[in-house]
Amino acid sequence: MTAIDHDEEAVVIIGSGAGGGTLAYELTARGIKVVVLEAGPHITNAEYVNDEWAAFSQMAWLDPRTTSGSWRIARDFPNLPAWIVKAVGGSTTHWSGATPRFLAHEFEARSTYGAIDGANLLDWPLTLAELAPYYDRAEIAMGSTHRHGRAALPANNNYKVFANGAARVGYNFYATGPYATNAEPYDGRPASVQDGFNFQGDKSGAKWSTLVREIPRAEATGHLDLRPLSQAVQISHDRTGRADAVLYLDAAGGMHRQRARIVCVAGNSIETPRLLLLSASSLFPDGLANSSGQVGRNYMRHTTGSVYAQFPDPVHSYRGETMAGIIADEARHDERRGFAGGYYLETLSLGPAFLAAFANPGAWGRDFTAILDGYAHTAGLWIVGEDMPQETNRITLNGSVTDAAGLPVANVNFDDHPNDVAMREHGYRQAELLYDAVGSISAHRTPPYPSTHNLGTSRMSARPEDGVVNKFGRAHDVPNLFVSDGSVFTTGAAANPTLTIVALAIRQADHIAEQLANGTL
Amino acid sequence: MTFLDTSEAPSGFLDSPQARALLVRVIRVAFPHAQLPDTAYEKTAAALIALAEKTPRHFLALSSGLASLDTLPAGAFLDLNATDATARLRAIEQTEFFGFIRANTVLTLYNLPEVWEALGYEGASFDKGGYLTRGFNDLDWLPEPRIEEYTGELNYVEIGPLTRQVGTGTAPAASAATRDEVTK
Repeated sequence: MTAIDHDEEAVVIIGSGAGGGTLAYELTARGIKVVVLEAGPHITNAEYVNDEWAAFSQMAWLDPRTTSGSWRIARDFPNLPAWIVKAVGGSTTHWSGATPRFLAHEFEARSTYGAIDGANLLDWPLTLAELAPYYDRAEIAMGSTHRHGRAALPANNNYKVFANGAARVGYNFYATGPYATNAEPYDGRPASVQDGFNFQGDKSGAKWSTLVREIPRAEATGHLDLRPLSQAVQISHDRTGRADAVLYLDAAGGMHRQRARIVCVAGNSIETPRLLLLSASSLFPDGLANSSGQVGRNYMRHTTGSVYAQFPDPVHSYRGETMAGIIADEARHDERRGFAGGYYLETLSLGPAFLAAFANPGAWGRDFTAILDGYAHTAGLWIVGEDMPQETNRITLNGSVTDAAGLPVANVNFDDHPNDVAMREHGYRQAELLYDAVGSISAHRTPPYPSTHNLGTSRMSARPEDGVVNKFGRAHDVPNLFVSDGSVFTTGAAANPTLTIVALAIRQADHIAEQLANGTL
Repeated sequence: MTFLDTSEAPSGFLDSPQARALLVRVIRVAFPHAQLPDTAYEKTAAALIALAEKTPRHFLALSSGLASLDTLPAGAFLDLNATDATARLRAIEQTEFFGFIRANTVLTLYNLPEVWEALGYEGASFDKGGYLTRGFNDLDWLPEPRIEEYTGELNYVEIGPLTRQVGTGTAPAASAATRDEVTK
């Protein structure tokens, strides 16, 4: 455990998940001193529990938040807009593990899709070709199956139904991955024992997370000072407008100040804009790095939904990896389907506790209990597709609800765009056809869960007036402030975001190290 | 929440066998499962009463909601058949009383190990070595699918329609013939 003095100008990273944890490792590996401020506790794999609600209480970000808008979450889970983790390793500790890359045109959404009413589309200031080498490094770090020589995971029961259904409706581009869980031992970690628990944390360590890979390796360099239970509450700046310190609260509520040479914010797409807005000053009256007015806007959560289908014969879909199955045929952009962008279908299984909670919130009676009665005969999948960025889908500070420290909580306002609705409808229908093709006797459409993919609230843009950060995640307004998480996504693409967040963080680390070395930062 | 030890304290209705019986019946009518043991409903009712007794808001809602169930025109709730009892609950489903029962039953009933067992869920598995040798791939009514990515003649389409048509439109109701074919 390395201690860095509070008065030493370190690189201060806020958050230890996919972005922050990766960045911490990549910088410390180059000998750069890093302080990581992690709001949550340091929970280790051995402490995880194979129990949905117990694990949720242990890991989930449960600090108060509020919601508004027409999305159903505001009615069903008004204080739980997002299902993410508050612990060292962030949401990589509970993520399912799917690692598709973006498609080339998904970096050019505005040019490819054209103008769409109500959508604040913009091309990324970055191309697939530029990111491709970093995708390679991310896949190697994470051990993605089907990539760089990593073996495919075997077919579990849920996948057998999914893949046979896919083949019968005419899909071709399906497989058990790419998926960042070891099918065979790799990188010092074991192979999956197919225990069926991912969202609860993976006890075995077969699944990649920054908790099992980047954080311990960063600590081993001797250049990392990891501070769990440290909630960043403000980034301060000097007279020239450069970030100079981070103020944070410890578990007892004590306020600390860590001097900073560079500040990197990776608190996930709700806390990141909240922190920038909480950092408003006389010099930055609308919030730090917010001259564009885009901080907090364009909040995206992917167009999602699930279908759970029942069969005459047993499935036991809860056995084995939770999301080891992907269909990519619908990820294309094809205007003939009636919407822009595309989506993936991915296997998914919940235990009875979570299926009951999320299958149709608010429902009761025989229609509801029938979903649970058929549990052992149920196969399930998740739709995950690109949603439209909208300026009014937005994180703001709630002036009347405060957290334990008395600070305004984040309010998450969200309305589906008609494109999102059309895509979800298409996904539901294709999923029903897929299951029908292998003999389903019923299929149930589940609405979107509290958001697991939170994106876009400090987006990248070529021009400072269009977004918050540049192509390296560097704030347009503050030269030594970076955003290092999914908040920088200019648009959401269809792919699960973690691989892209990791690739961008590796690229950002290269950029920061280079700038530090040549004295320009 | 604490109660005064005087005659002005609320009656102990919520702790009475009558209240317990009514609550068990409400939960069973709202969440009917033929295969669940009685203990699952009884434990859920006990948990909900204990939860309600923690705050005045829920204590008041549950006490008055249960006590007044029998005052509705159809007569004693416990004497109603399942259809009539369900209709009675539909009429009050927007109340704080029923909302408390519904939301907390979902959180409690489906978190009971005996319910998992009755539904065919095996629960914690890591300490048993996961499902690697305990049936993660034992489904035998479909052929073994491909696990590797597609390597056939078709190119992956990123923009535009697929080169081969896939099934679209409205899913037909699953027919017995289809199922028979699949299970062969």
